[in-house]
Amino acid sequence: MSQAVATPPRAAQQAPQRTRRRVPSFVLALPAWVWLLGFFLAPVSLVIWYSFGRKPSLFATHSNDVLSFDRYKESMDPAYLPTFVNTLRVGIVGTTLCLLIALPFAYWLAVKIPARWRGLLLGLVLVPFWTNFLVRTLGWSIILSPQGWVSTTLQAIGLRDAPLSVLYTRGAVQLGVVYNYLPLMILPIYVAFERIEPSLREASRDLGANRWRTMLQITLPLARPGIVAGLLLVFIPLMGDYITATVLGGAKGNMVGQLVASQFQTAQNWALGSAMAVILMTFIGVTVAVLALIFRSASAIARSRRGFTLDEAEVTR
Amino acid sequence: MRRRIDPVDLLLHVWGGLVFIFLFLPIVMIVIYSFNVGRLMVAWQGFGLNAYHAAIADPGIRAAIGVSLRAGVGASLVATILGTLAGVALARRPGPWVPLFVGILGLTLVTPEIVDAVSLLPWFVWLGTDAHVTVFNNGLIRLIVGHSLFATAVVTFIVRARIAGLDESLEEAAADLYAPPWNRFRQITLPLLMPAVLAGALMSFTLSLDDTIISAFVQVSGSTPWPVYIFSALRAALRPQIAAMSTLMLGLTLLAISMVAVVLRRSGESSTQIAGTLAGGGV
Repeated sequence: MSQAVATPPRAAQQAPQRTRRRVPSFVLALPAWVWLLGFFLAPVSLVIWYSFGRKPSLFATHSNDVLSFDRYKESMDPAYLPTFVNTLRVGIVGTTLCLLIALPFAYWLAVKIPARWRGLLLGLVLVPFWTNFLVRTLGWSIILSPQGWVSTTLQAIGLRDAPLSVLYTRGAVQLGVVYNYLPLMILPIYVAFERIEPSLREASRDLGANRWRTMLQITLPLARPGIVAGLLLVFIPLMGDYITATVLGGAKGNMVGQLVASQFQTAQNWALGSAMAVILMTFIGVTVAVLALIFRSASAIARSRRGFTLDEAEVTR
Repeated sequence: MRRRIDPVDLLLHVWGGLVFIFLFLPIVMIVIYSFNVGRLMVAWQGFGLNAYHAAIADPGIRAAIGVSLRAGVGASLVATILGTLAGVALARRPGPWVPLFVGILGLTLVTPEIVDAVSLLPWFVWLGTDAHVTVFNNGLIRLIVGHSLFATAVVTFIVRARIAGLDESLEEAAADLYAPPWNRFRQITLPLLMPAVLAGALMSFTLSLDDTIISAFVQVSGSTPWPVYIFSALRAALRPQIAAMSTLMLGLTLLAISMVAVVLRRSGESSTQIAGTLAGGGV
Protein backbone atom coordinates (compact mmCIF):
# COMPACT_ATOMS: atom_id res chain seq x y z
CA MET A 1 0.00 0.00 0.00
CA SER A 2 2.67 2.40 0.99
CA GLN A 3 4.57 1.35 -2.11
CA ALA A 4 1.65 2.37 -4.30
CA VAL A 5 1.45 5.78 -2.66
CA ALA A 6 5.14 6.41 -2.95
CA THR A 7 5.50 5.48 -6.59
CA PRO A 8 3.42 8.11 -8.48
CA PRO A 9 5.36 11.19 -7.35
CA ARG A 10 8.64 9.55 -8.26
CA ALA A 11 7.35 8.68 -11.68
CA ALA A 12 5.98 12.17 -12.19
CA GLN A 13 9.25 13.64 -11.08
CA GLN A 14 11.03 12.13 -14.07
CA ALA A 15 9.33 14.49 -16.52
CA PRO A 16 10.41 17.86 -15.08
CA GLN A 17 13.83 16.43 -14.37
CA ARG A 18 14.32 15.62 -18.03
CA THR A 19 13.32 19.12 -19.13
CA ARG A 20 15.65 20.56 -16.49
CA ARG A 21 18.53 18.58 -17.91
CA ARG A 22 18.00 20.15 -21.33
CA VAL A 23 19.12 23.53 -20.00
CA PRO A 24 22.86 23.69 -20.73
CA SER A 25 24.85 23.61 -17.52
CA PHE A 26 26.59 26.94 -18.00
CA VAL A 27 23.47 29.06 -18.53
CA LEU A 28 23.46 30.39 -14.94
CA ALA A 29 27.08 31.38 -15.29
CA LEU A 30 26.50 32.97 -18.69
CA PRO A 31 25.87 36.53 -17.44
CA ALA A 32 29.12 36.49 -15.48
CA TRP A 33 30.94 35.03 -18.52
CA VAL A 34 29.68 37.78 -20.79
CA TRP A 35 30.44 40.49 -18.22
CA LEU A 36 34.03 39.36 -17.64
CA LEU A 37 34.59 38.77 -21.35
CA GLY A 38 33.33 42.23 -22.24
CA PHE A 39 34.90 44.24 -19.44
CA PHE A 40 37.93 42.26 -18.41
CA LEU A 41 39.33 40.00 -21.14
CA ALA A 42 38.54 42.30 -24.05
CA PRO A 43 40.04 45.48 -22.52
CA VAL A 44 43.13 43.67 -21.23
CA SER A 45 43.65 42.15 -24.69
CA LEU A 46 43.30 45.63 -26.16
CA VAL A 47 46.08 46.87 -23.88
CA ILE A 48 48.32 43.98 -24.93
CA TRP A 49 47.58 44.92 -28.56
CA TYR A 50 48.38 48.60 -27.89
CA SER A 51 51.71 47.62 -26.38
CA PHE A 52 52.96 46.62 -29.83
CA GLY A 53 52.01 49.99 -31.32
CA ARG A 54 53.50 53.47 -31.03
CA LYS A 55 52.65 57.08 -30.26
CA PRO A 56 52.43 58.59 -33.75
CA SER A 57 52.30 62.29 -32.93
CA LEU A 58 52.13 64.72 -30.06
CA PHE A 59 48.33 64.80 -30.08
CA ALA A 60 47.50 61.12 -30.66
CA THR A 61 47.60 58.62 -27.83
CA HIS A 62 48.43 55.47 -29.81
CA SER A 63 48.56 53.89 -33.23
CA ASN A 64 49.05 50.30 -34.32
CA ASP A 65 50.06 50.97 -37.94
CA VAL A 66 53.60 49.76 -37.27
CA LEU A 67 53.88 46.73 -35.00
CA SER A 68 57.07 46.21 -33.03
CA PHE A 69 58.57 45.34 -29.67
CA ASP A 70 60.09 48.82 -29.44
CA ARG A 71 57.85 49.93 -26.55
CA TYR A 72 59.16 47.00 -24.51
CA LYS A 73 62.74 48.04 -25.25
CA GLU A 74 61.82 51.60 -24.35
CA SER A 75 60.33 50.46 -21.01
CA MET A 76 63.61 48.78 -20.14
CA ASP A 77 65.42 52.06 -20.83
CA PRO A 78 67.74 53.31 -18.04
CA ALA A 79 65.14 56.02 -17.38
CA TYR A 80 62.52 53.46 -16.35
CA LEU A 81 64.38 50.26 -15.46
CA PRO A 82 65.34 51.41 -11.91
CA THR A 83 61.63 51.87 -11.18
CA PHE A 84 60.91 48.26 -12.12
CA VAL A 85 63.77 47.06 -9.95
CA ASN A 86 62.66 49.30 -7.09
CA THR A 87 59.08 48.05 -7.33
CA LEU A 88 60.25 44.46 -7.21
CA ARG A 89 62.41 45.24 -4.17
CA VAL A 90 59.61 47.06 -2.33
CA GLY A 91 57.31 44.15 -3.25
CA ILE A 92 59.61 41.38 -2.03
CA VAL A 93 60.78 43.20 1.12
CA GLY A 94 57.20 44.27 1.90
CA THR A 95 55.78 40.77 1.47
CA THR A 96 58.57 39.26 3.60
CA LEU A 97 58.04 41.81 6.38
CA CYS A 98 54.28 41.16 6.31
CA LEU A 99 54.97 37.43 6.66
CA LEU A 100 57.38 37.93 9.56
CA ILE A 101 54.93 40.18 11.40
CA ALA A 102 51.87 38.07 10.62
CA LEU A 103 53.21 34.60 11.47
CA PRO A 104 53.70 35.10 15.25
CA PHE A 105 50.65 37.35 15.42
CA ALA A 106 48.32 34.88 13.71
CA TYR A 107 49.74 32.06 15.85
CA TRP A 108 49.12 34.10 19.00
CA LEU A 109 45.55 34.89 17.94
CA ALA A 110 44.71 31.32 16.92
CA VAL A 111 46.46 29.43 19.72
CA LYS A 112 47.13 31.63 22.74
CA ILE A 113 43.86 33.58 22.87
CA PRO A 114 40.78 31.92 24.43
CA ALA A 115 38.17 31.04 21.79
CA ARG A 116 35.53 33.46 23.06
CA TRP A 117 37.84 36.45 22.54
CA ARG A 118 39.11 35.39 19.11
CA GLY A 119 36.07 36.62 17.17
CA LEU A 120 36.30 40.08 18.68
CA LEU A 121 40.06 40.40 18.17
CA LEU A 122 39.76 39.14 14.60
CA GLY A 123 37.07 41.75 14.02
CA LEU A 124 39.54 44.36 15.28
CA VAL A 125 42.17 43.13 12.79
CA LEU A 126 39.57 43.70 10.09
CA VAL A 127 38.88 47.31 11.08
CA PRO A 128 41.87 48.74 9.15
CA PHE A 129 40.83 46.51 6.27
CA TRP A 130 37.45 48.24 6.22
CA THR A 131 38.87 51.73 6.59
CA ASN A 132 39.47 53.48 3.32
CA PHE A 133 42.86 52.57 1.92
CA LEU A 134 43.74 56.16 1.12
CA VAL A 135 42.59 57.42 4.52
CA ARG A 136 44.78 54.88 6.34
CA THR A 137 47.73 56.02 4.27
CA LEU A 138 46.92 59.64 5.11
CA GLY A 139 47.02 58.64 8.78
CA TRP A 140 50.64 57.65 8.28
CA SER A 141 51.44 60.90 6.56
CA ILE A 142 50.18 62.69 9.71
CA ILE A 143 52.42 60.52 11.88
CA LEU A 144 55.48 60.87 9.69
CA SER A 145 55.01 64.54 8.84
CA PRO A 146 57.95 66.81 9.83
CA GLN A 147 55.41 69.16 11.46
CA GLY A 148 53.47 66.30 13.11
CA TRP A 149 53.34 65.45 16.79
CA VAL A 150 55.81 62.56 16.56
CA SER A 151 58.40 64.86 15.07
CA THR A 152 57.78 67.67 17.58
CA THR A 153 57.74 65.26 20.54
CA LEU A 154 60.99 63.66 19.46
CA GLN A 155 62.56 67.09 19.20
CA ALA A 156 61.09 68.26 22.52
CA ILE A 157 62.51 65.33 24.46
CA GLY A 158 65.81 65.75 22.67
CA LEU A 159 65.87 62.49 20.68
CA ARG A 160 66.18 64.44 17.44
CA ASP A 161 67.51 67.89 16.80
CA ALA A 162 65.91 68.26 13.38
CA PRO A 163 62.32 67.61 12.20
CA LEU A 164 61.52 64.02 11.21
CA SER A 165 62.53 63.39 7.60
CA VAL A 166 60.90 60.02 6.86
CA LEU A 167 58.00 61.23 4.73
CA TYR A 168 58.66 61.13 0.97
CA THR A 169 61.42 58.52 1.24
CA ARG A 170 61.53 54.90 0.16
CA GLY A 171 61.37 53.92 3.85
CA ALA A 172 57.98 55.62 4.19
CA VAL A 173 56.66 53.76 1.13
CA GLN A 174 57.96 50.48 2.53
CA LEU A 175 56.27 51.14 5.88
CA GLY A 176 53.06 52.17 4.12
CA VAL A 177 52.77 49.05 1.99
CA VAL A 178 53.56 46.74 4.94
CA TYR A 179 50.85 48.47 6.91
CA ASN A 180 48.29 48.48 4.11
CA TYR A 181 48.61 44.81 3.19
CA LEU A 182 49.30 43.28 6.62
CA PRO A 183 45.64 42.27 7.32
CA LEU A 184 45.62 40.32 4.03
CA MET A 185 48.55 38.28 5.33
CA ILE A 186 47.18 37.81 8.85
CA LEU A 187 43.75 36.48 7.83
CA PRO A 188 44.59 33.40 5.75
CA ILE A 189 47.44 32.40 8.09
CA TYR A 190 45.14 32.79 11.09
CA VAL A 191 42.49 30.63 9.44
CA ALA A 192 45.12 27.97 8.67
CA PHE A 193 46.47 27.95 12.25
CA GLU A 194 42.99 27.86 13.70
CA ARG A 195 42.08 24.75 11.72
CA ILE A 196 44.95 22.70 13.13
CA GLU A 197 43.71 20.43 15.91
CA PRO A 198 45.45 21.21 19.24
CA SER A 199 45.73 17.45 19.77
CA LEU A 200 48.35 17.28 17.00
CA ARG A 201 50.64 19.65 18.86
CA GLU A 202 50.01 17.73 22.09
CA ALA A 203 50.80 14.45 20.36
CA SER A 204 54.02 15.91 19.05
CA ARG A 205 54.97 17.05 22.56
CA ASP A 206 54.07 13.66 24.04
CA LEU A 207 56.34 12.02 21.52
CA GLY A 208 59.21 14.10 22.81
CA ALA A 209 59.46 16.95 20.32
CA ASN A 210 60.27 20.32 21.82
CA ARG A 211 58.23 23.41 20.86
CA TRP A 212 60.50 24.48 17.98
CA ARG A 213 60.44 21.05 16.43
CA THR A 214 56.65 20.92 16.78
CA MET A 215 56.46 24.36 15.16
CA LEU A 216 58.75 23.48 12.26
CA GLN A 217 57.53 19.94 11.56
CA ILE A 218 53.85 20.04 12.50
CA THR A 219 52.36 23.51 12.72
CA LEU A 220 54.09 25.36 9.89
CA PRO A 221 53.76 22.57 7.27
CA LEU A 222 50.05 22.31 8.07
CA ALA A 223 49.62 26.08 7.79
CA ARG A 224 51.33 26.16 4.40
CA PRO A 225 48.18 26.71 2.28
CA GLY A 226 47.36 29.75 4.42
CA ILE A 227 50.89 31.08 4.13
CA VAL A 228 50.88 30.69 0.35
CA ALA A 229 47.47 32.42 0.11
CA GLY A 230 48.77 35.26 2.27
CA LEU A 231 51.91 35.70 0.16
CA LEU A 232 49.83 35.95 -3.03
CA LEU A 233 47.19 38.22 -1.48
CA VAL A 234 49.91 40.65 -0.38
CA PHE A 235 52.43 40.46 -3.22
CA ILE A 236 50.11 40.90 -6.20
CA PRO A 237 48.23 44.06 -5.17
CA LEU A 238 51.40 45.49 -3.61
CA MET A 239 53.26 45.32 -6.92
CA GLY A 240 50.54 47.27 -8.70
CA ASP A 241 50.00 49.78 -5.90
CA TYR A 242 50.68 53.39 -6.71
CA ILE A 243 48.48 55.12 -4.15
CA THR A 244 50.73 54.38 -1.17
CA ALA A 245 53.78 55.40 -3.18
CA THR A 246 52.19 58.67 -4.26
CA VAL A 247 50.96 59.63 -0.77
CA LEU A 248 54.02 58.62 1.24
CA GLY A 249 56.76 58.61 -1.39
CA GLY A 250 55.94 61.78 -3.28
CA ALA A 251 58.11 62.22 -6.35
CA LYS A 252 60.62 59.68 -5.00
CA GLY A 253 58.02 56.94 -4.66
CA ASN A 254 59.09 55.26 -7.87
CA MET A 255 56.65 52.41 -8.27
CA VAL A 256 55.73 50.97 -11.67
CA GLY A 257 52.08 51.75 -10.99
CA GLN A 258 52.95 55.45 -10.96
CA LEU A 259 54.88 55.10 -14.23
CA VAL A 260 51.99 53.36 -15.98
CA ALA A 261 49.50 55.88 -14.64
CA SER A 262 51.56 58.84 -15.78
CA GLN A 263 51.96 57.39 -19.30
CA PHE A 264 48.18 57.20 -19.57
CA GLN A 265 47.22 60.36 -17.71
CA THR A 266 49.95 62.93 -18.35
CA ALA A 267 52.27 61.76 -21.14
CA GLN A 268 49.30 60.40 -23.16
CA ASN A 269 51.53 57.65 -24.54
CA TRP A 270 49.18 54.68 -24.37
CA ALA A 271 51.49 52.37 -26.30
CA LEU A 272 54.36 52.81 -23.84
CA GLY A 273 52.02 52.69 -20.83
CA SER A 274 50.50 49.45 -22.14
CA ALA A 275 53.92 47.86 -22.61
CA MET A 276 54.83 48.82 -19.04
CA ALA A 277 51.58 47.31 -17.74
CA VAL A 278 52.29 44.06 -19.60
CA ILE A 279 55.84 43.99 -18.18
CA LEU A 280 54.45 44.54 -14.68
CA MET A 281 52.10 41.57 -15.10
CA THR A 282 55.01 39.47 -16.41
CA PHE A 283 57.17 40.47 -13.41
CA ILE A 284 54.39 39.39 -11.04
CA GLY A 285 53.78 36.14 -12.92
CA VAL A 286 57.48 35.23 -13.00
CA THR A 287 58.03 36.05 -9.31
CA VAL A 288 55.01 33.98 -8.30
CA ALA A 289 56.23 31.08 -10.48
CA VAL A 290 59.73 31.25 -8.95
CA LEU A 291 58.26 31.32 -5.44
CA ALA A 292 56.05 28.33 -6.26
CA LEU A 293 59.08 26.44 -7.53
CA ILE A 294 61.09 27.25 -4.38
CA PHE A 295 58.19 26.22 -2.14
CA ARG A 296 57.69 22.98 -4.00
CA SER A 297 61.32 21.92 -4.05
CA ALA A 298 61.76 22.93 -0.39
CA SER A 299 58.88 20.71 0.67
CA ALA A 300 60.14 17.90 -1.59
CA ILE A 301 63.53 18.06 0.14
CA ALA A 302 61.90 18.13 3.56
CA ARG A 303 59.77 15.14 2.63
CA SER A 304 62.68 13.05 1.40
CA ARG A 305 64.66 13.80 4.56
CA ARG A 306 61.83 13.03 6.91
CA GLY A 307 60.67 9.99 4.99
CA PHE A 308 56.99 10.74 5.52
CA THR A 309 54.59 13.65 5.35
CA LEU A 310 51.54 14.66 7.23
CA ASP A 311 48.61 14.40 4.90
CA GLU A 312 46.70 17.60 5.20
CA ALA A 313 43.34 16.08 4.42
CA GLU A 314 43.73 13.50 7.17
CA VAL A 315 44.70 15.81 9.98
CA THR A 316 42.76 19.00 9.36
CA ARG A 317 39.15 19.40 10.24
CA MET B 1 51.89 26.63 43.52
CA ARG B 2 51.77 29.70 41.33
CA ARG B 3 51.99 29.11 37.59
CA ARG B 4 55.01 30.73 36.00
CA ILE B 5 54.39 32.70 32.86
CA ASP B 6 56.12 31.10 29.95
CA PRO B 7 58.61 33.59 28.40
CA VAL B 8 57.64 32.65 24.84
CA ASP B 9 53.97 33.19 25.63
CA LEU B 10 54.81 36.53 27.17
CA LEU B 11 56.71 37.55 24.02
CA LEU B 12 53.76 36.50 21.88
CA HIS B 13 51.37 38.56 24.00
CA VAL B 14 53.63 41.60 23.69
CA TRP B 15 53.92 41.05 19.93
CA GLY B 16 50.13 40.77 19.60
CA GLY B 17 49.68 44.03 21.47
CA LEU B 18 52.30 45.80 19.37
CA VAL B 19 50.72 44.65 16.10
CA PHE B 20 47.35 45.96 17.27
CA ILE B 21 48.90 49.32 18.11
CA PHE B 22 50.53 49.37 14.67
CA LEU B 23 47.23 48.50 12.97
CA PHE B 24 45.26 51.17 14.78
CA LEU B 25 47.78 54.01 15.00
CA PRO B 26 46.98 55.75 11.68
CA ILE B 27 43.24 55.24 12.09
CA VAL B 28 43.32 56.79 15.56
CA MET B 29 45.32 59.67 14.07
CA ILE B 30 42.63 60.36 11.46
CA VAL B 31 39.90 60.25 14.12
CA ILE B 32 41.84 62.62 16.41
CA TYR B 33 42.73 65.05 13.65
CA SER B 34 39.11 65.16 12.48
CA PHE B 35 38.53 67.33 15.58
CA ASN B 36 41.23 69.76 14.54
CA VAL B 37 39.87 73.31 14.21
CA GLY B 38 42.85 74.46 12.15
CA ARG B 39 42.72 75.05 8.42
CA LEU B 40 45.22 72.33 7.57
CA MET B 41 44.69 68.76 8.74
CA VAL B 42 48.28 68.09 9.79
CA ALA B 43 48.81 71.27 11.83
CA TRP B 44 46.91 70.89 15.13
CA GLN B 45 45.24 74.11 16.28
CA GLY B 46 42.68 73.04 18.85
CA PHE B 47 39.72 70.79 19.53
CA GLY B 48 36.33 71.39 17.94
CA LEU B 49 33.60 70.04 15.70
CA ASN B 50 34.11 72.66 12.99
CA ALA B 51 35.44 70.15 10.49
CA TYR B 52 32.29 68.01 10.81
CA HIS B 53 30.00 70.99 10.16
CA ALA B 54 32.15 72.11 7.25
CA ALA B 55 32.35 68.60 5.77
CA ILE B 56 28.60 68.08 5.87
CA ALA B 57 27.97 71.48 4.34
CA ASP B 58 30.63 71.17 1.61
CA PRO B 59 28.88 70.54 -1.76
CA GLY B 60 31.98 68.94 -3.29
CA ILE B 61 32.33 66.40 -0.46
CA ARG B 62 28.61 65.67 -0.47
CA ALA B 63 28.61 65.06 -4.21
CA ALA B 64 31.64 62.78 -3.95
CA ILE B 65 30.07 60.74 -1.15
CA GLY B 66 26.86 60.54 -3.17
CA VAL B 67 28.69 59.24 -6.24
CA SER B 68 30.59 56.70 -4.11
CA LEU B 69 27.43 55.40 -2.44
CA ARG B 70 25.56 55.09 -5.74
CA ALA B 71 28.50 53.38 -7.46
CA GLY B 72 28.84 51.09 -4.44
CA VAL B 73 25.17 50.06 -4.51
CA GLY B 74 25.28 49.57 -8.30
CA ALA B 75 28.50 47.58 -8.33
CA SER B 76 27.38 45.46 -5.42
CA LEU B 77 24.04 44.69 -7.13
CA VAL B 78 25.74 43.70 -10.38
CA ALA B 79 28.45 41.65 -8.67
CA THR B 80 26.04 39.94 -6.29
CA ILE B 81 23.59 38.91 -9.00
CA LEU B 82 26.24 37.74 -11.49
CA GLY B 83 28.38 36.15 -8.79
CA THR B 84 25.52 34.31 -7.08
CA LEU B 85 24.28 32.82 -10.36
CA ALA B 86 27.81 31.85 -11.36
CA GLY B 87 28.55 30.38 -7.92
CA VAL B 88 25.38 28.26 -8.05
CA ALA B 89 26.26 27.09 -11.56
CA LEU B 90 29.83 26.20 -10.55
CA ALA B 91 28.75 24.17 -7.54
CA ARG B 92 25.56 22.56 -8.89
CA ARG B 93 25.99 22.24 -12.65
CA PRO B 94 29.65 21.44 -13.22
CA GLY B 95 30.68 20.83 -16.79
CA PRO B 96 33.68 21.01 -19.09
CA TRP B 97 33.50 24.84 -19.00
CA VAL B 98 34.37 24.97 -15.29
CA PRO B 99 38.21 25.01 -15.44
CA LEU B 100 38.26 27.80 -18.03
CA PHE B 101 35.72 29.85 -16.11
CA VAL B 102 37.53 29.42 -12.81
CA GLY B 103 40.73 30.37 -14.64
CA ILE B 104 39.21 33.63 -15.84
CA LEU B 105 37.86 34.41 -12.37
CA GLY B 106 41.29 33.70 -10.93
CA LEU B 107 42.86 35.97 -13.52
CA THR B 108 40.51 38.78 -12.48
CA LEU B 109 41.65 38.31 -8.90
CA VAL B 110 45.38 38.31 -9.61
CA THR B 111 45.46 41.15 -12.15
CA PRO B 112 46.81 44.26 -10.44
CA GLU B 113 44.24 47.02 -10.27
CA ILE B 114 46.37 49.42 -12.25
CA VAL B 115 46.20 47.04 -15.25
CA ASP B 116 42.40 46.86 -15.01
CA ALA B 117 42.35 50.63 -14.80
CA VAL B 118 44.49 51.34 -17.85
CA SER B 119 42.61 48.68 -19.82
CA LEU B 120 39.17 50.02 -19.01
CA LEU B 121 39.98 53.63 -19.90
CA PRO B 122 40.67 53.07 -23.65
CA TRP B 123 37.92 50.44 -23.74
CA PHE B 124 35.28 52.86 -22.44
CA VAL B 125 36.56 55.60 -24.72
CA TRP B 126 36.31 53.24 -27.69
CA LEU B 127 32.85 51.95 -26.71
CA GLY B 128 31.53 55.43 -26.03
CA THR B 129 32.90 57.34 -29.02
CA ASP B 130 33.83 54.86 -31.77
CA ALA B 131 31.16 52.23 -31.16
CA HIS B 132 28.55 54.84 -30.14
CA VAL B 133 27.39 52.91 -27.09
CA THR B 134 26.82 56.19 -25.30
CA VAL B 135 25.93 54.73 -21.89
CA PHE B 136 29.65 54.27 -21.40
CA ASN B 137 30.16 58.00 -21.47
CA ASN B 138 28.23 58.10 -18.20
CA GLY B 139 30.68 58.30 -15.32
CA LEU B 140 28.51 56.39 -12.86
CA ILE B 141 28.04 53.47 -15.29
CA ARG B 142 31.80 53.36 -15.85
CA LEU B 143 32.44 53.24 -12.10
CA ILE B 144 29.84 50.50 -11.58
CA VAL B 145 31.31 48.36 -14.36
CA GLY B 146 34.89 48.94 -13.20
CA HIS B 147 34.14 48.12 -9.58
CA SER B 148 32.04 45.05 -10.36
CA LEU B 149 34.78 42.95 -12.02
CA PHE B 150 36.92 41.94 -9.05
CA ALA B 151 33.80 41.85 -6.88
CA THR B 152 32.02 39.40 -9.21
CA ALA B 153 34.89 36.93 -8.82
CA VAL B 154 34.87 37.38 -5.03
CA VAL B 155 31.10 36.83 -4.77
CA THR B 156 31.29 33.76 -7.04
CA PHE B 157 33.89 32.12 -4.83
CA ILE B 158 32.07 32.98 -1.58
CA VAL B 159 28.78 31.59 -2.92
CA ARG B 160 30.42 28.49 -4.36
CA ALA B 161 32.10 27.75 -1.03
CA ARG B 162 28.78 28.10 0.78
CA ILE B 163 26.72 26.02 -1.64
CA ALA B 164 29.32 23.24 -1.71
CA GLY B 165 28.63 22.77 2.01
CA LEU B 166 24.85 22.55 1.55
CA ASP B 167 22.82 19.38 1.29
CA GLU B 168 21.19 19.12 -2.13
CA SER B 169 18.32 16.98 -0.79
CA LEU B 170 16.25 20.05 0.18
CA GLU B 171 16.27 21.27 -3.41
CA GLU B 172 15.47 17.76 -4.62
CA ALA B 173 12.57 17.58 -2.19
CA ALA B 174 11.23 20.85 -3.58
CA ALA B 175 11.53 19.47 -7.10
CA ASP B 176 9.70 16.32 -6.02
CA LEU B 177 6.93 18.52 -4.68
CA TYR B 178 6.54 20.09 -8.14
CA ALA B 179 8.15 23.44 -7.37
CA PRO B 180 9.07 25.11 -10.67
CA PRO B 181 12.81 25.87 -10.97
CA TRP B 182 12.44 29.58 -10.22
CA ASN B 183 10.36 28.99 -7.06
CA ARG B 184 12.76 26.31 -5.97
CA PHE B 185 15.64 28.75 -6.32
CA ARG B 186 13.81 31.60 -4.59
CA GLN B 187 12.23 29.65 -1.75
CA ILE B 188 14.87 27.02 -0.99
CA THR B 189 18.29 27.73 -2.49
CA LEU B 190 18.42 31.48 -1.98
CA PRO B 191 17.45 31.50 1.73
CA LEU B 192 20.09 28.83 2.38
CA LEU B 193 22.62 30.91 0.49
CA MET B 194 21.68 34.16 2.21
CA PRO B 195 24.70 34.43 4.50
CA ALA B 196 27.06 34.07 1.56
CA VAL B 197 25.06 36.43 -0.64
CA LEU B 198 24.95 39.06 2.12
CA ALA B 199 28.66 38.75 2.82
CA GLY B 200 29.37 38.99 -0.90
CA ALA B 201 27.17 42.05 -1.32
CA LEU B 202 28.78 43.78 1.64
CA MET B 203 32.23 42.86 0.40
CA SER B 204 31.53 44.28 -3.08
CA PHE B 205 30.05 47.42 -1.60
CA THR B 206 33.09 48.15 0.56
CA LEU B 207 35.51 47.20 -2.22
CA SER B 208 33.75 49.75 -4.39
CA LEU B 209 33.83 52.44 -1.69
CA ASP B 210 37.54 51.77 -1.21
CA ASP B 211 38.53 51.77 -4.85
CA THR B 212 40.83 54.58 -5.90
CA ILE B 213 42.88 53.32 -8.83
CA ILE B 214 40.16 52.17 -11.25
CA SER B 215 37.98 55.13 -10.27
CA ALA B 216 40.74 57.65 -10.94
CA PHE B 217 41.03 56.36 -14.49
CA VAL B 218 37.45 55.74 -15.57
CA GLN B 219 35.69 58.66 -13.86
CA VAL B 220 34.47 61.57 -15.94
CA SER B 221 34.15 65.08 -14.52
CA GLY B 222 31.02 65.40 -12.45
CA SER B 223 31.20 61.83 -11.17
CA THR B 224 34.20 61.98 -8.88
CA PRO B 225 33.89 59.37 -6.13
CA TRP B 226 35.08 60.02 -2.57
CA PRO B 227 38.53 58.33 -2.71
CA VAL B 228 39.41 60.18 -5.92
CA TYR B 229 38.24 63.41 -4.29
CA ILE B 230 40.68 62.81 -1.42
CA PHE B 231 43.41 61.82 -3.85
CA SER B 232 43.10 65.05 -5.77
CA ALA B 233 42.87 67.02 -2.53
CA LEU B 234 46.38 65.73 -1.75
CA ARG B 235 47.78 67.94 -4.49
CA ALA B 236 46.17 71.02 -2.98
CA ALA B 237 45.99 71.23 0.81
CA LEU B 238 44.48 68.56 3.04
CA ARG B 239 41.78 70.06 5.20
CA PRO B 240 40.46 68.46 8.42
CA GLN B 241 37.07 68.10 6.68
CA ILE B 242 38.47 65.06 4.89
CA ALA B 243 39.38 63.43 8.21
CA ALA B 244 35.93 64.28 9.59
CA MET B 245 34.06 62.74 6.66
CA SER B 246 36.36 59.69 6.74
CA THR B 247 35.57 59.19 10.43
CA LEU B 248 31.85 59.34 9.67
CA MET B 249 32.27 56.85 6.82
CA LEU B 250 34.29 54.52 9.06
CA GLY B 251 31.51 54.63 11.65
CA LEU B 252 28.92 53.75 9.00
CA THR B 253 31.02 50.91 7.57
CA LEU B 254 31.61 49.40 11.01
CA LEU B 255 27.88 49.59 11.71
CA ALA B 256 27.05 47.80 8.45
CA ILE B 257 29.67 45.13 9.13
CA SER B 258 28.50 44.45 12.66
CA MET B 259 24.97 44.05 11.31
CA VAL B 260 26.11 41.48 8.76
CA ALA B 261 28.20 39.73 11.42
CA VAL B 262 25.10 39.48 13.62
CA VAL B 263 23.08 38.01 10.73
CA LEU B 264 25.83 35.49 10.03
CA ARG B 265 26.09 34.55 13.69
CA ARG B 266 22.32 33.96 13.86
CA SER B 267 22.65 31.53 10.98
CA GLY B 268 25.18 29.61 13.03
CA GLU B 269 28.56 30.50 11.57
CA SER B 270 31.61 30.47 13.80
CA SER B 271 33.56 33.67 14.32
CA THR B 272 36.36 32.35 12.15
CA GLN B 273 33.98 31.51 9.33
CA ILE B 274 32.40 34.96 9.62
CA ALA B 275 35.76 36.68 9.44
CA GLY B 276 36.71 34.42 6.56
CA THR B 277 33.63 35.31 4.54
CA LEU B 278 33.85 38.99 5.40
CA ALA B 279 37.47 39.04 4.32
CA GLY B 280 36.71 37.53 0.96
CA GLY B 281 35.80 33.89 1.39
CA GLY B 282 38.29 31.74 -0.48
CA VAL B 283 40.88 31.80 2.29
